[in-house]
Amino acid sequence: METRKEKFIYGAKKGFPIVYGYIPMGIGYAALAMKAGFNPFQTVSMSFLVFAGAGQIMAVSMFAQGATLLNIVLTSFVVNFRYFIMNTVVYNKLTENTPKLNVLSAHFVVDESFAIFSLMEKSSIWVYLGVSVIPFCAWVLGAAIGVLVLNALPIIVANSFNISLYALFVAILIPNIKRSKNIAITVIITGILNYLLSFVISHWSLIVATLLGAFIGMYIVDDDEVNIKPKTDEDIQNEIELEAQ
Amino acid sequence: MINIYVLILLCALVTFIPRLIPAIAVDRLNFGPKFEKFLNLIPYTALAALICPGVITVDPNIWYVGLVGALVAGGLAWKRVSIGAIVIITVIALIILYSIIPYFGLISVVL
Repeated sequence: METRKEKFIYGAKKGFPIVYGYIPMGIGYAALAMKAGFNPFQTVSMSFLVFAGAGQIMAVSMFAQGATLLNIVLTSFVVNFRYFIMNTVVYNKLTENTPKLNVLSAHFVVDESFAIFSLMEKSSIWVYLGVSVIPFCAWVLGAAIGVLVLNALPIIVANSFNISLYALFVAILIPNIKRSKNIAITVIITGILNYLLSFVISHWSLIVATLLGAFIGMYIVDDDEVNIKPKTDEDIQNEIELEAQ
Repeated sequence: MINIYVLILLCALVTFIPRLIPAIAVDRLNFGPKFEKFLNLIPYTALAALICPGVITVDPNIWYVGLVGALVAGGLAWKRVSIGAIVIITVIALIILYSIIPYFGLISVVL
């Protein structure tokens, strides 16, 4: 039986590629926050306390444009509400969890760690902590590096970092699209839905399109194509036997 | 003038509470196989919604910058390049793109 430490390290290895996206994005966020009038302590604290990539960038941009406090907080709520849905998926899948560990780990869900973990066969909370705590550290570290090296970066390089989150999203999604044509169709429908809905309900479109897309997908995708449940001991035994043959 | 500390704390609160509720309530919920399938599809649809149309706003002034980045990342992912390498190569591709965009401007002026 694997120990907790081994599971954590396994998860950390799976989550590590997120670091390549989060440190540059963290620097980009810090650049925006400092330009908006945040001091270095406030800039890093926000990454630590809020931990929401796109949400933070949106909040500091609105602050810079002179939006009201209520407006910024409400937009943060709407944009970050997807974490409610993501944690519903994560905590429904977790094993070896306790109420205390659940509360301690709730803060760490983000799009990338959620996608990597929810598409994994392993479901222990120790694996999840490995996948999710590493990006958290990278995001805070990125903001800290940002406030230190800020003015040294050429503008072209700073702007190019803005693609890193999207590169991560695409890199996680493509292997699954390749595996199943029906998942690819679901993904395309969801993207189009979100684009169209954004004109009607602006920030809410992200959540509505995610749910509507999954609902449509239920009728397009076959049951076995989305079987990302943890393997049972029986499955593993069967695989070992197959490999031995 | 907004107090930045109050702003950060309120943003933290409205982000954390939706994260916490499933963590403390999920054990009391029992999901049927249909709802499980729905939940299993959410990772795909959430990523799709994050990419489209957000990717074309990577550079608010030049819409195709994000599209080029997404195509580079998608092509590399198709060839099974590792995620870390995809991010680094995509950023480098955009640095190159930004370096040659001024020449495109020059061509359109000439034409």
